Amino acid sequence: MPLKWVLHWQPNAGTTVNSQIINEVTQCVESINGVKEGRWKATITFYKPMIRAEQALAGDFPRDFLGIALPEQPNKYYLIIRLQRIVLEADSSIQMIMEKLQSYKSRVSLNFEGFQYQLGDFQLRVGKVLPTHSENLRGIVMEVEYLPISSMEKARQVMEDFMDIWQQALSKRSLPGHFMHMEPNFAEYGLADQYTSQHTAVQYATVMAQLIATVQAVQARN
Amino acid sequence: MECVVQGIIETQHVEALEILLQGLCGVRRERLRVHEICLKSGPNLGVVASEVRLICNLEQTEPTWTVRHIGGAMRGAGAEQISVLVRTMVESKASKNVLRLFYALGYKLDHELLRVGFAFHFQRGTQITVTVSSVNKMLQLHATDEAVPVTPGIQLVEVTAPATSENYTEVVAAVSSFCEYLAPLLHLSKPGISTGVVPTAAAAAASLMSDGGGEELSS
Repeated sequence: MPLKWVLHWQPNAGTTVNSQIINEVTQCVESINGVKEGRWKATITFYKPMIRAEQALAGDFPRDFLGIALPEQPNKYYLIIRLQRIVLEADSSIQMIMEKLQSYKSRVSLNFEGFQYQLGDFQLRVGKVLPTHSENLRGIVMEVEYLPISSMEKARQVMEDFMDIWQQALSKRSLPGHFMHMEPNFAEYGLADQYTSQHTAVQYATVMAQLIATVQAVQARN
Repeated sequence: MECVVQGIIETQHVEALEILLQGLCGVRRERLRVHEICLKSGPNLGVVASEVRLICNLEQTEPTWTVRHIGGAMRGAGAEQISVLVRTMVESKASKNVLRLFYALGYKLDHELLRVGFAFHFQRGTQITVTVSSVNKMLQLHATDEAVPVTPGIQLVEVTAPATSENYTEVVAAVSSFCEYLAPLLHLSKPGISTGVVPTAAAAAASLMSDGGGEELSS
């Protein structure tokens, strides 16, 4: 399958994300002739252990794990334990199994949703990060997918070139921040150079960690 | 949900059962070789203790994994009266690191089994699966190549059919009526209620073997 990079908006120190930024980003995609195609939505859910005894040892089980639903694989579901670098691909019904086991409970869910754009051989998706049932913007993500290639390494140059053009176009708008690409170490998760949806899930988990770090940094400053 | 009944048969009569099933189902048997790993939640994990099964299909060139959760059986006067167990069952295919994931989540190995035999999948009023297998235990962890039978000379027969809360009565009826055709060779009942081998098995098997095939049934 075609590879993609998942990027997140890194606000400048002292600033936060707002919907004006997402409007500007969207306009920027359209200004470089991105053709709007339709909506997309991914969801990340945090699962926390349900512990029977208070004295349960920390380290017996992870503090949490992530469940990820991706639009590119509507019948699949991904479970990620970041600390142990495990990504599991399963059918959507794994959510029902986790519910029946009553050992972990889904706590918070975040939706990543927005519009998809076609731009030559590239597909761009710009999305807001919103807690479910809330309009409280928590972040902005962007997916850059390059359709002709599925090898991460072979596509690296073309992806970097595209990102240069994109950052240049966006810089004209003097926004208080920039899109950041943090490439996870896929090999640690047992993933190879050929791109799969498990790579996407791992990238979302990395973006999630960045968003949390950003929020925590802001809270620490205040 | 699924409907399920189980029974046992002596290995010497398995060939006759296969001939009968072949005649009844009209499909070819599939070879069965699955490694089943039963995991239980660690002592402090979860509201209640929980159990999950990881099933590795070893018949495929690249083994495939399935997570299976078997829930409680349907209860009540209605459930008591029927001869088939109706229970919740949820399955999900999973990537091959699923055992590592469940260990990381705090699940522990309870036991593991290797089932070797054959299965028939067919449509008969409903989608029915019949598996005939010898159940083996491993002398060393995950050593499926050195597995030994739990009950030598005896094989397990299981008839299952997927169901929903809307259609389970019809599925139960279809499973029950199918089981009657197997009655001369073995008796099928709810799991956990063992009825042993059937006294007529030897005679029925001899008759099937001499016929050289089961009767074709029109349904």
